[in-house]
Amino acid sequence: MSSHQTGELHKIGVKWPAREQAPLDLLDLIPIYHRWISEAALPDLLIDVAEYTHVPHGPGVLIIAFEGNYAYDETGGERGVVYYSKQPLAGDLAQRLAAVARKSLLAGQRFEQDAALGGKVGLAGDRLEVFSNDRLAGPNDAVGWALLEPAVTALATRLFGAGKFRVERASPDPRERLTAIVHVDRPETIDTLLSRLA
Amino acid sequence: MMSWSDKLAGRMPETLAREIDQYQQQIELKKQGKVDDKLFQEARLRRGSYGQRYDNGQRHDGIAQRDLPFQRKELRKGPETLWDAPGMQRIKLTFGGFTPEQMEVHADIAEEYSDAIVHITTRQDTQLHYVHIEDTPDLMRRLATVGITSREACGNSVRNVTACPKAGCCGGEVFDVSPYAIACARFLMGHRDAQDFGRKFKVAFSGCPDQGCAYTGFHDLGFVAATRPGPEGTLRRGFAVYVGGGLGPVPYQASLLAEFVPEDEIFPVSQAICRIYGRHGEKKNRGRARIKFLVAAWGIEKFRAEVEAERRKIPQDDAWTSWLDDVPAWSEQPSRPGAALAADAGDAAFRDWRATNVKPQKHNGYVIATVKLPLGDITSWQLRQLADISRKFNNGHCRTTVEQNIVMRWVSEGDLPELYRELQRVGLAASGANTIEDVVSCPGTDTCKLGIASSRGLAATLSEIMKQRAASLDPAVRALRIHTSGCFNSCSQHQIADLGFYGVSRKVDNATVPHFRVVLGARRDHNAREFGQTFGPVPSKRVPEFIDRLTEQFLAERQGDESFPDYIQRIGKKGVKPLLDELGQVPPRSIDRTLYSDWRDPREFNISDIGIGECAGAVVSTTEFDLQAAEQMHYEAQVHLDEGDFRKADDTAYAAMVLAAKGLVYHENQDVPIQPDTIVAEFRVRYHDSGRFHDPKAPTKFAEYLFRRHDDRDRTYSVEAARRVLEETQHFVEAAYSCYARITERPANAATETAPAATENA
Ligand code: SF4
Repeated sequence: MSSHQTGELHKIGVKWPAREQAPLDLLDLIPIYHRWISEAALPDLLIDVAEYTHVPHGPGVLIIAFEGNYAYDETGGERGVVYYSKQPLAGDLAQRLAAVARKSLLAGQRFEQDAALGGKVGLAGDRLEVFSNDRLAGPNDAVGWALLEPAVTALATRLFGAGKFRVERASPDPRERLTAIVHVDRPETIDTLLSRLA
Repeated sequence: MMSWSDKLAGRMPETLAREIDQYQQQIELKKQGKVDDKLFQEARLRRGSYGQRYDNGQRHDGIAQRDLPFQRKELRKGPETLWDAPGMQRIKLTFGGFTPEQMEVHADIAEEYSDAIVHITTRQDTQLHYVHIEDTPDLMRRLATVGITSREACGNSVRNVTACPKAGCCGGEVFDVSPYAIACARFLMGHRDAQDFGRKFKVAFSGCPDQGCAYTGFHDLGFVAATRPGPEGTLRRGFAVYVGGGLGPVPYQASLLAEFVPEDEIFPVSQAICRIYGRHGEKKNRGRARIKFLVAAWGIEKFRAEVEAERRKIPQDDAWTSWLDDVPAWSEQPSRPGAALAADAGDAAFRDWRATNVKPQKHNGYVIATVKLPLGDITSWQLRQLADISRKFNNGHCRTTVEQNIVMRWVSEGDLPELYRELQRVGLAASGANTIEDVVSCPGTDTCKLGIASSRGLAATLSEIMKQRAASLDPAVRALRIHTSGCFNSCSQHQIADLGFYGVSRKVDNATVPHFRVVLGARRDHNAREFGQTFGPVPSKRVPEFIDRLTEQFLAERQGDESFPDYIQRIGKKGVKPLLDELGQVPPRSIDRTLYSDWRDPREFNISDIGIGECAGAVVSTTEFDLQAAEQMHYEAQVHLDEGDFRKADDTAYAAMVLAAKGLVYHENQDVPIQPDTIVAEFRVRYHDSGRFHDPKAPTKFAEYLFRRHDDRDRTYSVEAARRVLEETQHFVEAAYSCYARITERPANAATETAPAATENA
């Protein structure tokens, strides 16, 4: 079943802006990703590595999975850890968002902990972006925002506690993906965030 | 809940919308196990939905071949292709035309269904990777709203019709071939005489015989604009027609079929060529099924005689000429008045960009600017920005090129500095278009099932190296072109490069080492008049060194202004061999492991990920397609009945029987008119009266179902009658399948025939 058949928002993604201690050469991610695929280090059925370091502000280097894509992404000129779903997810929108956020955090945890990266990459933690990747079920307009915003607020409340964040819409350009930016008062560790999503 | 089909209703051309609905039904039927794997594979290929590496559920991780644990392993989209494995979607852009609206839709579907990258191919198509099959109908609907179809983008069909990207703007052209390319694409798409090919069929239009833009020299069918004196001092338009060219493992130069075919004759001639190819082209041995083999085997004289004879037999068709009235009206308008460039405009970077990326246009004050895309890739965001830029500067007149770039035509020269700044802002102002930095590459091992070596990894590396050195390169070297293919199938068109490479492997030290075979010295002018010569292989990681050393050698040894192709021709194999021999020495792994893996892929190299290519598709006859379509119509009829529309159900079921009968009739004669009366009469004579339709062992005579329903002119419609005709249709279509199987069955001893030679793709 694909999400177009349900008419509901299943194609959603989360980006955690990254904090690099030292500049990371994106090509260094290629062997790491191949190892992650061999080790089944992330939750989905991991298929292959896709590398787009040659395009500016692009999707960077990705792991293509059956359920969705993991990326160390450069969209918008800002690097970050991204996960977005490409298959239907279980539960209501808040549950789906939580599942996607969890996968993105697990990827973030890998980036922080993988010895080959030597602690170079972590999540900035002060912000996350939640986006609809479906212009039918979650268009970048008032209707889409009315659908996404409460689910994002519910997710942020779970992650950071009520009143400890601020949600804003990234861009009103209807051509761009509907994106909510969550500004966080106090960054938390990935372990803490994951425990709150457990 | 609203679907894309609901949302876009009325915004898609009706025929496209219906075709896509049918395709979606095929997907549903396939999921229910009601469509054969081979048939579904060819059906999706003809919609441009292609397999991708690892879609057989196997992947080598550098140590061992591993199973990718897809859950629904029994569900397949082809004999060797798992349903759940993502695939590639190819999208046709006739002559590379790419409007801002089309860019925006591409941007959206790339983000939502792929990985936010749109890839331009060497045939002016676009491709999206990692797309799930169940997303493809919506993807196609969204494209249909901007006039794009992916129909026949793959499979054994007429592929994208390409043309010079400068057509209409080029000072050297005989006339603008754009309206001819569009009309040709429309005429041949879905044409019944172009459905029974053993392999793909590529058509190109060139505006002149001298340059190297459209490369008709290596197309199955090529048209080169020409004129002849007409009445009262006018010029009569037409084309020199070439046939039987092709690249692939063994490239063939196209042969001249006719020096001048008037414009009103190009479609009947094309139709005759398609008929001859469909009838006489190889079908079993996929490696010899392209039309080039038929032309070569017969010789052009015999081929020409057959085409001429066939042309005389084809019944007149208004579609041959009805489009001609639109040709004079074809024109493009700029968005801004043409103006000269200020003498002191721009900085050094702008001047470098202008020197390589901007070409003159025949209209005063206008130029053609090339947006150079690294490896043919552009992001969704960039594509939206480019759409806006194009609206502002050139009224949306963009085209993709076979060098995997996008050209902006009709740019006012005076606007160039502003355009450059805008392109810079969105990362699209790289200079070096069509120079040694602008490496053309096929997808190779990144995504292609047939890839042997990493053509994209190599291309990306070479582009970076050359970009860094651009300023210091001798102009004679900077002007060279590099193309890299992942295997001998030539998708990067390496035979027309100055420095071409294609992936091979070599066994060394009990391991497999990626190499690229070298192809040097092509002459691209005159529509690719001479292909490069093939030389020995170089280990993949040593290709940059090979290029450095060979170009140094060229600069040191060239005589006067000798060109690179002339130099290669002069020194020949002997002159290149010492370098190849030296670089070809691969040390054991214990000394240097680097050569044992490929560019941008750390896994120890091996070739076990090579799968069965789908480029050739499966040979599925038009009869099989008709029978499948009949089955689908029966399914639609059932839906109508379930929805209470028994009249529509009844008529649809009857139409399904006629279609199945037509499939059988056309198996023997494709010239039978399509009207139900004629089809049924022909079916009666050919299959019923001859006793061939009925299984001798079966007591029921299913043909009667068709005859009875056909003769029932004053039918009284009812739910009961519809239900009955639905039942009968199902039996009739089944019987048609059985009949087709019987009449195409090979004699039992045929199984002992020698197996066909391995295909080139194997
Ligand atoms: S040349 Fe070979 S590797 Fe490249 S796309 Fe074609 S078939 Fe695939």
